[in-house]
Amino acid sequence: MQRKSSNLEIWVVLAVALFVIIVFPSLNAFTADGSWLHVSNFTITLYGKYLCYAMLAISVDLLWGYTGLLSLGQALFFSLGGYMMGMYLMRMIGDLGQYHQPIPDFLVFLGWSTLPTFWKPFASFPFALLTAVLLPGVLSGIFGYLAFRSRIRGVYFAILTQALTYAACLLFFRNSLLLGGNNGFTDFKFILGYDIREASTKRGLFIATGIALLLVYLLCKWLTKTKFGKVQRAIRDSENRVMFSGYSTANFKLFIFVLASLIASLAGVLYVPQVGIINPSEMSPDKSLEAVVWVSVGGRGTLIGPIIGAFAVNGMKSWATRSYPDMWLLLLGTMFILVTVFMPKGIVGLPAQLQGVYQKFTAKKMKAEPVSVTPDAAVQPVKPE
Amino acid sequence: MDQKRGLCVHSVSVQTRRGEQGRGPKTSAPFYKEPILKFLSILLCGILSVLAAQAQDESAVREKLAHAVLSGSADQPKLVGELADTGSKIVHDVLIAWTRDGVFIFETNNVRIPVLLEEQTDANGNARAIRIDDGKFLVDDQKKELHFAATDLNALDTDARLRTVIQQTLDSLALSDPDPDARENAILKLGNSHKLNNISVLQARLAKEKNPAVVRAINEAIAMLQLGDADPQVQITAAQQLAALKSIGSLDMLKALAENKSSPPAVVQAAKIATSRINEHVVAVNFFGTIFRGLSLGSILLIVTLGLAITFGLMGIINMAHGEMIAIGAYTTYVVQNLFGSGFAFSINLPFHFFGHPVGFGLSLPGMNATGWWYESYFLFALPLSFLMAALAGLALERSVIRFLYRRPLESLLATWGVSLVMQQLFRMVFGANNVQVSSPSWLLGHFTLNDVSMGYNRVFVIVFAVLIVIGTWMLLTKTPLGLLIRAVMQNRDMASCMGVRTARVNMMTFAFGSGLAGLAGAFLSQIGNVGPSLGQSYIVDSFMTVVVGGVGSIVGTVYAAVGIGTSDQVLQQVTGSPVTGKIVVLVCIILFLQWKPGGLFSIRSRSLD
Amino acid sequence: MKSYLFKSLALVAALTLTPRGYADDTVKVGVLHSLSGTMAISETSLRDVLLYAFDEINTAGGIKVGDKSYKIEPVVVDGASNWPLFAEKAKQLLEVDKVAVTFGCWTSVSRKSVLPVFEQDKGLLFYPVQYEGEELSKNIFYTAEAVNQQATPAVDYMLKQGKKKFYLIGTDYVYPQTTDLILYKYLLLHGIPAENIGGGFRKDDSGKVISAGKYVPFGHTDFQQIVADIKQFAASGDACVLNTVNGDSNVPLFKEIAAAGLTAADCPVVSFSLAEDELRALPTKDLVGELGCWTYFMSLNTPANKMFLKSWNTWVKSQDHPGVVKEKRVVDSPMVLSYDGVYLWKAAVEKAGSFDVDKVTAALESGDISFEGPGGLITMQKNHHATKNVYIGETKANGQFKILETFPQVYGEPFLLKDLDAKLTAATK
Repeated sequence: MQRKSSNLEIWVVLAVALFVIIVFPSLNAFTADGSWLHVSNFTITLYGKYLCYAMLAISVDLLWGYTGLLSLGQALFFSLGGYMMGMYLMRMIGDLGQYHQPIPDFLVFLGWSTLPTFWKPFASFPFALLTAVLLPGVLSGIFGYLAFRSRIRGVYFAILTQALTYAACLLFFRNSLLLGGNNGFTDFKFILGYDIREASTKRGLFIATGIALLLVYLLCKWLTKTKFGKVQRAIRDSENRVMFSGYSTANFKLFIFVLASLIASLAGVLYVPQVGIINPSEMSPDKSLEAVVWVSVGGRGTLIGPIIGAFAVNGMKSWATRSYPDMWLLLLGTMFILVTVFMPKGIVGLPAQLQGVYQKFTAKKMKAEPVSVTPDAAVQPVKPE
Repeated sequence: MDQKRGLCVHSVSVQTRRGEQGRGPKTSAPFYKEPILKFLSILLCGILSVLAAQAQDESAVREKLAHAVLSGSADQPKLVGELADTGSKIVHDVLIAWTRDGVFIFETNNVRIPVLLEEQTDANGNARAIRIDDGKFLVDDQKKELHFAATDLNALDTDARLRTVIQQTLDSLALSDPDPDARENAILKLGNSHKLNNISVLQARLAKEKNPAVVRAINEAIAMLQLGDADPQVQITAAQQLAALKSIGSLDMLKALAENKSSPPAVVQAAKIATSRINEHVVAVNFFGTIFRGLSLGSILLIVTLGLAITFGLMGIINMAHGEMIAIGAYTTYVVQNLFGSGFAFSINLPFHFFGHPVGFGLSLPGMNATGWWYESYFLFALPLSFLMAALAGLALERSVIRFLYRRPLESLLATWGVSLVMQQLFRMVFGANNVQVSSPSWLLGHFTLNDVSMGYNRVFVIVFAVLIVIGTWMLLTKTPLGLLIRAVMQNRDMASCMGVRTARVNMMTFAFGSGLAGLAGAFLSQIGNVGPSLGQSYIVDSFMTVVVGGVGSIVGTVYAAVGIGTSDQVLQQVTGSPVTGKIVVLVCIILFLQWKPGGLFSIRSRSLD
Repeated sequence: MKSYLFKSLALVAALTLTPRGYADDTVKVGVLHSLSGTMAISETSLRDVLLYAFDEINTAGGIKVGDKSYKIEPVVVDGASNWPLFAEKAKQLLEVDKVAVTFGCWTSVSRKSVLPVFEQDKGLLFYPVQYEGEELSKNIFYTAEAVNQQATPAVDYMLKQGKKKFYLIGTDYVYPQTTDLILYKYLLLHGIPAENIGGGFRKDDSGKVISAGKYVPFGHTDFQQIVADIKQFAASGDACVLNTVNGDSNVPLFKEIAAAGLTAADCPVVSFSLAEDELRALPTKDLVGELGCWTYFMSLNTPANKMFLKSWNTWVKSQDHPGVVKEKRVVDSPMVLSYDGVYLWKAAVEKAGSFDVDKVTAALESGDISFEGPGGLITMQKNHHATKNVYIGETKANGQFKILETFPQVYGEPFLLKDLDAKLTAATK
């Protein structure tokens, strides 16, 4: 049963992915503007952005849903990847900037006339990619090693990762870091020689993001199916028992943490050329929380849930900020509350939940026996008198 | 809003009771802040006005003043300059009002009468006008007092040249100001003037001066002026004098003297010694100042965090809406302030239409239009009310959302984050997206200086306040039956429930209490920071950090952590010279600290697993 | 297919929404400001004044193009203080809603974020808030104050007042950094020695100063240390503070200044991001005499301004737009520059006889598009900045500014650094 539904999920995902990766961009490229089949450039970029968010959400879920580690620092790794890509893109602007000088504009008005040394190698795309892997990897490795060694978990881990991303956010806001300060990087022109503003480049990025998401999904799917995945879930459910069974839980957790940070970083790498900006507010604690909310709305502990959640929440946000610019926070906030309280398994878990309610309802009717279905009952098993 | 208390800004910002001793009769009425003072000085004035000579003097001064005010712009500066010798309080008040657009011209039948408006306004916001030429209220033909709003009358304008003259006149008037602080400021200003002939003015003043602080200032000013003397011996003595007085204000001059290539070596030497002596003093001042500021920042952090130490530390709820509870307290203070003032009203339109009519709701509360000490006391009422409002909000939050989440602490984070978003938007709709104005009562404004370390009253208040609520919380938790129940439920909810404790109720009370503490914090923060929809966001990360560093579940730990973090933040700011770097270093230290002591400063020891 | 998600989601909530009908001849105009998040504090007022300007134009008959007149249909979106979202919304306005022009942005980063979108989609943006300059996009018109329309006149004024020591303080981002660097060079050029410029410097390896002044992070709330520092700096007299701290943090800064007894008479603070709207949150009675420099003050005593204020107040009171607050409203420079922008655009459209971006741009660049706004005459220049009056004002107890000095019709110059550097090298030689 379990295996069957899991296989079904993979087939569905593959079908959808095929559609997204092939049909969607084709509709953009080969249908005329105005035709009902046409997918606009705007939609392509927007959905490309959501795909990146979905990848970020998977990285959160891998930690939270599968390992029980709530990280509020995933936005940091996402942004680090984004920054590395951003540095490459900044170098690609060449002398097309405001000042027509071979160095990025913000350096010019910070008084620099030559490129700082650490900027130089970023003209190479492979190097930028390498740093986008190394920097988040090493940072998460060190942080994770320290944190898991001293058995920091649960709320402590969440707060610590939040502190980490907050400190990094403050650091990146500083102009003296020479990474653009508050303004960050914008106004990109070229990527790998292609004009970044061309529709075809955007399609290419969209397809690349779709493929990357699919690969990440399959990798995680495979990982969670192996014995490793079982240990992972065992850690989530009772870390001490796993530890007493002779597993080094710290190493397991460290591996997952680093892997998640790399997935987040990859999402950031693909995100920046599509939205055209990276700035330190991307690593503010709020952003990490948002990603956690996507997972929660979609359904944690599944791999399809984060993807659905990222699309649902961001789609709603895009729509509401246009239709109800004054009220959308009320809508969104209320939705988060309701989902958390009443739908602990998110959208993905909704059918099962409804089924459960229905079954209990019918059982109640038949036996006329009080079976509590309210969440309150779960909290108060003993009736206080 | 300011008509009531508008014209006395200068005296407030210098922050001393400038009017206590020597107010002239009647005219001074608009310049009072507190009715008590008003009463006292009316009493005082009553005695004074017996002295006919004084009254004689006054009317002459008033005439001169009115003449200056009404004269054409050509000879105005000269006439104003002549007022400097009068030493009169009225001149001071009128001149200040003049620069602040507070002197009005009432024109009737081609007669121009210069007037001031009284601070006290009637229900329509109008005030009586006081004639500058005789100090009486302006009346119409039937001897009935006239009332005006500031916009009804033409304010007398000033240009740059006139303002310079007025400032000079005010400076020389300040030399004989009844308020010692004002005198001290004026004297030090003279000391910075680089004009040797000012020495005689200062020495004349020295002979009359009795206040030790002012005497010290005069000596300092004289020495500062003497640094510019042609005689090297005078310069050396002056430098030594300044070193002995530890005069920070003279540091620039001494440095300039030490670097001046044309001064004799002995003078340079003396200046150098004096500079290093004063620099040592500056280091000491900065040291003690930093300690004080660290304590005060720590206290703020503590007040902000204490509520969280209960809801998060004891109950395990990750309440991301804690910041909004703080904001509720701050907004309550704002509303209470408005109720003491002109009232509070808001209206909201929803983006829906009901049969073509816009849907909305609103509220309008009348104000008490209180003034003086009664108005100033609004804060005392705001404190308990903000506790109450936040506690009620906490209660509602606990009943509607949090009680479902006691078994899922990590998820309480998400739900309360949603609550926080909703509440921020509600604040925006009710109070507007802008920050709102909460003015400090005068007893919280101002500072005193102890050996050049300046300490604000509000900062001292926050430290005392923090100590009080920590003691209060500690007493509640350890000395009351409720505290016993709280501790029991927090330790083991199921067990307590089995023992017959009504856990649902205790949960509710505890959460409400924690939220109430946040509300108190908000009331206090309104005095030092901004009150706006995202007020809570600025503190949320810091507060969680403080609880974690202190050790979740330990109130004592929170106290230590708050004071520790506050002080190290201030010290690092001082050391690194940059608030940003200071903050980053603190965060990194916290992260490293928790690697070393994962349970925080005071971790609760337990044999249980998971 | 297109925006399928939007439609399906829209269904959920559309039940309660009554669609508003518009006449056939309408032109869509975008409003892109943050109505939530940290920047909502400042930007919401701009949305309000823009809606007011549109209403005013619509009541007066709309925009006349050829023999037709068009009513303005505003498309308000929320950027939510989220910069990638700003770019997304800009794209949506241009590609989905196809607006003729957009009014929006407050922070430099939001402008930088939408700039490539406007350039690529050939849109038109009017930007109303004082900024650091050093930028010129062909698709953006800056009604905003350039540094030479705000900071340098203020410094001129302080120099004239005999101030000899200047303390620089700001929020750590590009506007304060750039402005302070310009001011630092400007002060050096006017004979103020570097040791009399407070707040500290940062130098690069060659010893060249690349940053001057004291900087605090966004949303900073604790100014004790800095105010103590300023007090020591000002102890020797003739000092003033040049303040580029961002809107929100000004409240704790000035509350600290008031509590520390640092009065304007001893050491005035000249603020560049503090207008009437922000002053509403401050204890103004304790801060009388602090200075501000803008191209508009609400207290301006001109018939145009009085008319504007009167009709604005009536409009606000009668508004049923959700989110428009009715109580205690004030008007300030960014709001008026937003308003001016709408009229400049209208004039340009009417002159060009078309909504076409290229034609409107050409009309605006011609140099004869001007508008007699509440703050005086404002004329769009060829370099996309505007010539306008600059005023220096002093805060009064009622939260208004008393105007001390007027610099009439100052030409907006976005590029100052290079020029200053050249002058400085010439001066040192």
